[in-house]
Amino acid sequence: MSVVRVENVYKVYPLGKRKVRALRDVSMVANEGEFLAIAGPSGSGKTTLLNLIGCIDTPTKGSVYIKDIEVSRRTPDQLADLRAQTLGFIFQTFNLLPVLTAWENIEYPLLNRKELTKQERRERVKRYLKIVGLRQFAQHKPNELSGGQRQRVAIARALAGRPSIVLADEPTANLDQKTGGGILRLMKIINQEEGTTFIFSTHDVRVMNMADQIIYIRDGKLIRRKQKDENILRSAVQ
Amino acid sequence: MDALLLGFKHLARNRKRSSIALVIVGFGVVATLLAGGFIEWIFWAMREATIQSQLGHIQVVRPGYVSAGAADPFAFLLPGKSPIPSTVESTPGIKAVAPRLAFNGLISHNDTTVSFIGAGVDATKESHFTGIRITAGRGLIENNSEVILGRGLARDLGIKPGATVVLLVNLTSGGINAVELSVAGLFRTASKAYEDSALRVPIETAQELLRLQGSHAWLILLDKTDDTAKMIKQLRARFPKTEANVEFVPWYERAEFYNKTVLLFSRQMFVVQIIIALIIILSISNMLVMNVLERTGEIGTLMAIGLKRRKILQQFVSEGVILGIIGATVGLALGFILAQLISAIGIPMPPPPGMEKGYTGEIQLTWSLVLKAFLLATITTTLAGLYPAWKASRLEVVNALRHNR
Repeated sequence: MSVVRVENVYKVYPLGKRKVRALRDVSMVANEGEFLAIAGPSGSGKTTLLNLIGCIDTPTKGSVYIKDIEVSRRTPDQLADLRAQTLGFIFQTFNLLPVLTAWENIEYPLLNRKELTKQERRERVKRYLKIVGLRQFAQHKPNELSGGQRQRVAIARALAGRPSIVLADEPTANLDQKTGGGILRLMKIINQEEGTTFIFSTHDVRVMNMADQIIYIRDGKLIRRKQKDENILRSAVQ
Repeated sequence: MDALLLGFKHLARNRKRSSIALVIVGFGVVATLLAGGFIEWIFWAMREATIQSQLGHIQVVRPGYVSAGAADPFAFLLPGKSPIPSTVESTPGIKAVAPRLAFNGLISHNDTTVSFIGAGVDATKESHFTGIRITAGRGLIENNSEVILGRGLARDLGIKPGATVVLLVNLTSGGINAVELSVAGLFRTASKAYEDSALRVPIETAQELLRLQGSHAWLILLDKTDDTAKMIKQLRARFPKTEANVEFVPWYERAEFYNKTVLLFSRQMFVVQIIIALIIILSISNMLVMNVLERTGEIGTLMAIGLKRRKILQQFVSEGVILGIIGATVGLALGFILAQLISAIGIPMPPPPGMEKGYTGEIQLTWSLVLKAFLLATITTTLAGLYPAWKASRLEVVNALRHNR
């Protein structure tokens, strides 16, 4: 069952008097529980595609569906609700709130979830801190944590909202080889145990090796798609 | 962990910048308290001087005296013997009820003759009024053929206590009457203009001179000025105008000079408050704009994880509110200490227009002033936070996130 569907999407940015075509006629599908990698060189448009899927940017043309909901005509508040309920974000630069502790960073997005009681919120924070192995660092602020630990907090924050889809924008780019490997393994375990769909923007080979599906983008175009245990499904269109 | 707590944490993180903002807000509050407190003291001193020297807290007069009494004052005389003054005087909260008989005429000493404004007073009752200070000689004694003069009037006549003067007045019948009196003492009041023409004689002497009975007003002196409105209401209910044939007039309806001064100073104070508010708004707004610029990436993150625009707005507005509350509290505490200190030392002031002597000013803090200073700080910092907060809430998520790189 598909959780993300992108259909014939174009994205054009104005850059001074010029127009930059970041994406051109891109279509893709991410299925439930999939570990999907969007790969390509820097500036190829993979982050733009991830932003469109994450409902933090809108396509110039084409449609994006999150769990069969067409997102382009939604109001900013509706999109905020959709992001809070359905999507989790992991950023390359971790993006933790520096004034909050690890615990508070994970708890913060949950404060807007009215359906959760204080007790449920605390249970969730505790559970995901345990999953990412940071229970003893709960009261540490980001500047008291290593890069890998910060990214683990970010993962816990993304997962604590129980999203169907987690979007990770080059999550290992700022981490050393060993730490990055540990983070990826953790995400794969969560993917397998919790059935959460993970969509990565990456050029990390390890992510691609773990991925169920890889989408290659170059110059804003989808040039090929590869499923695990299969060869390239579709070659470059042009 | 709500917006206020998070706002507090953010402000604590930028200690230096937040401290500067707090100093600005606190300074604004201290300035409001000290400037406002000084003006409050002037109002208080002027009000009490007016009440004690001339008007009393409440005047009991014949209906119509206030509007038409200046043209024909003797048509509005109160009876010499009436149960009302003694009944009123026995009311709790009332210190004294003193009759006043106003008259004017000419005063002569040797070859000098000048005009005067006189008042016949009950010497015993007048001792409760503190607005007139004897500067030479002594005060009046009941039924004595004596007079006390304002210092300016005595200077014009070139006389000292012990001298003899002649008062010449027009009678209601059209005739003229005169009396020779000994000067018992000289007095001063808060008003130089009043001192320059005022004299006082025992009311019996005035009645004899004018060949009439009664008085123009019974001045009621209260224990507390703040009770005036309450007491007026009570007295009007007890002595209805139609039955008692008297009306009760509060001091503030007759204190024209005081009312105009209050209006003038209040406007000046309002301008000062506007300037203080603008300084706070510009400084704090600038600081909060910087805050938004520095935290653009963080705002993007918050929006990406599902916070709505109004939450972002709330977050940044709350930081302004926190600065206002803390700044106001610190400013109030500091302002209170400074006010006590300055009042203990005193503010030497030169003689104002209409007075001969300078005075020592103080800072008088009132609850309304404290509330005004607190609101000034909190409202202005909230206003200062609105634009930066709005700016933060309107950021495009994707653009804001780029600032994290």
